[in-house]
Amino acid sequence: MNFFQAQDQAKSKTKQLTFLFVAALLSLLIMANLLVAIMLSFENPETNFAQTIARTPPETWFFISLGVGGVVAVASIFKYLSLRGGGKAVAESLGGILIHQNTRNPQERQLLNVVEEMAIAAGLSVPPVYLIRENSINAFAAGFSTNDAVIGINQGTLDLLNREELQGVVAHEFSHILNGDMRINLRLMALLHGILFLGIIGGSFLRGSMFSRSKERGGIIALGIGLLIIGYGGTFFGNIIKAAVSRQREFLADAAAVQFTRSNTGIANALKKIGGHSVGSQIKNAQAEQSSHMFFGAIKPFAANLMSTHPPLEKRIQALDPNWSGKFAATESQPKPSSSAPSSALASGFSGSTGTSTQQTKASQSELLASVGNANLAQAQALIHNSDEGLLSAAHDTFEARALIYAMLVATDPEIAKQQLALIDANAEAGVPPHVHQLLPTVLKIDQEQKLTLLEMAVPSLKELSASQYKRFTGITNQLIVADQQVDIFEWVLHRILTKELYGHFVAPSRSGGNISSLKRLAPELHLLLSVIAAAGIADSQAQTSAFDEGWDLLPINKTKTFTKLEYFDYEAFNHALGKLRDLKPQLKASLMNACIHTALADGTLAQNQFALIKGVGATLDCPLPPLGVNPQ
Amino acid sequence: MEMIILLVIVAVLAFWLVAIYNKLVALKNRQENGFSQIEVQLKRRYDLIPNLVETAKAYMAHERETLESVINARNDASAGLAAAAGDPSNGAAIQQLAGAEGILGSAMSRLNVVMEAYPDLKANQNMMQLTEELTSTENKVAFSRQAFNDQVTEYNTYRSSFPPVMVAATFGHPSDAQLLEFEDSAAIQAAPKISF
Repeated sequence: MNFFQAQDQAKSKTKQLTFLFVAALLSLLIMANLLVAIMLSFENPETNFAQTIARTPPETWFFISLGVGGVVAVASIFKYLSLRGGGKAVAESLGGILIHQNTRNPQERQLLNVVEEMAIAAGLSVPPVYLIRENSINAFAAGFSTNDAVIGINQGTLDLLNREELQGVVAHEFSHILNGDMRINLRLMALLHGILFLGIIGGSFLRGSMFSRSKERGGIIALGIGLLIIGYGGTFFGNIIKAAVSRQREFLADAAAVQFTRSNTGIANALKKIGGHSVGSQIKNAQAEQSSHMFFGAIKPFAANLMSTHPPLEKRIQALDPNWSGKFAATESQPKPSSSAPSSALASGFSGSTGTSTQQTKASQSELLASVGNANLAQAQALIHNSDEGLLSAAHDTFEARALIYAMLVATDPEIAKQQLALIDANAEAGVPPHVHQLLPTVLKIDQEQKLTLLEMAVPSLKELSASQYKRFTGITNQLIVADQQVDIFEWVLHRILTKELYGHFVAPSRSGGNISSLKRLAPELHLLLSVIAAAGIADSQAQTSAFDEGWDLLPINKTKTFTKLEYFDYEAFNHALGKLRDLKPQLKASLMNACIHTALADGTLAQNQFALIKGVGATLDCPLPPLGVNPQ
Repeated sequence: MEMIILLVIVAVLAFWLVAIYNKLVALKNRQENGFSQIEVQLKRRYDLIPNLVETAKAYMAHERETLESVINARNDASAGLAAAAGDPSNGAAIQQLAGAEGILGSAMSRLNVVMEAYPDLKANQNMMQLTEELTSTENKVAFSRQAFNDQVTEYNTYRSSFPPVMVAATFGHPSDAQLLEFEDSAAIQAAPKISF
């Protein structure tokens, strides 16, 4: 199953779920009405059940349904709103502590490195990582979309797993991020909460009635008990639905982890260690109950049953490692990683990438598309390893990350560069300009792909800014971008990725609708998109036309359009078009990305600007593009 | 009917309270997280200062008093940091750290003034490197302190805004968090007077 199919499936799963929950809610309403009817018939013993119902005015049933439905709706909406903060809100509610990007703790450093490699390998910006102070082996991913996703890891995971196993666990979590499972998870949490809340109210009525002396006391007690039964009964069935969905996605994520890391030993060994660990993957925090389906391993020591959110460990291990002897691994503390020595994984990643040619062949174009939503770990490790030491440490430091971004925006033209540097000296935050001057010579030497990789690495550092620091930072970035009175393609991509990531973090996570099921309606937008890509890296106008045609013919539209040469890169029109294309269904995004890639590669090479454009388009449309293994030229 | 209205009111009220409670906890956590960022930078600073003093010693044997006052102030500030890091929501600890930092700041600027008289020391490669790193660390301290103070302000503002203020104390948030203010600008201005 590829990325787009997984996305589609996640979407239809969400619909099924909503349907199931509506059904559950309806049965709740019927139960509530029945309950009232029974209460009434007890109060009027002289009439039988049918007579009581006939005598009760019909509005009563309406109001009861309205009341119960209203409570569930209000509770769900409240929960959803509290989750609007996205992944970090969930991590914070579980008591997670943000691991700073410049941490000196070798364990935490190793974890951040593993997460970073995996993110770059998947073509995503690096998500913030939270540490949960629990001794069991577990982890989770939470968020609405890729730009507000966070990863949470238990202390026990760090203490007991080695680098390879950690990589398996992190890859599993990235699969949840990429396949749209997180969004299902958050909706599930909100809906379940609404139903559970009925039970909570029932409980508080019961407690309240202890102090009440009024005549209505009996009624309140009965109502409380009724609500308790409905609420907890509803939660029971809700949990079964939740668990069924979750179990399926876990198998999928395990499989994806093998695909991402190209190895089944890491994740299989991690699972074996959970089995051998005295506390396994249990989480003590009571808040974790609601988000049990987000974790790597089951948070309660349940055996296999309807309520367990995870398939039994034995089954998961067997699926990964058919030759498994059935014995769990003993857990012992791992030797602390040394922060300086390069890992063996890095070395092997290196040897894997030496054979790539710079010439792109037709055959590998389909590979390129298949790679969307996948991960290219070896390539990512090589990219990180080849980066300049100074630039890497700047990307990992909240203070210097801003200088790095400013330096990337300084133009090669000396006149404009002078102007921009003056602007930095005058407006940038105290202490930042010297860093810009220091980083600039190195930044000018690296190519766009490396710059974009560094940008993705700097994202979690920038997310550590405070709100006012973030405002100032974006103000200066925008000034630097327009300093030369125009926006070029690299500036556009940089701005696009920064906005998507930081706006999602500081203001509100963005969500894609994803309901447009016809490309035809968006023909003008597609025309603009392909025209820009065709013109970006090809000089000859004849070749531009044929590149455009090659992409356009792949789109399932019966209209013919011809390439139109654009005078300049009109970023506003381009953004507008992408904003509309965002709402396409995942499978249509697949043909769109396919067309983009074919247009870019029509002349046999991938130009730097074309690579950057596709990267920016992918980021905007939530189709992350991993490192390609070809050097854009 | 009254029952249903009551039910919905109870639901909304309970949720509202839960939302306030969660927001207070989240803001407080974020603020404590912000402090750990300052802690990293301040520790770095406290690690650099003894090296600097060690290098300076070789050149300025007659300034033992100045050097000692720097080391003492550094040790006090380091202890203050340890106390504050244990509980960043403790206003008194934060204030004590701010005071110790102020004393350290003025001791450092006194040292800088004294160093003017030793051109050899200022030209020392090691010294130049240390001074450079110290300046950069101080910038970082200022930066993470700004972020921390932003978070404290956000927490305080929310805590004392209208609906939360009624319940904040009951929920375990009885008082405003303490801003971390170093009186470094005042200390630097005062320093030359002491040395003459």
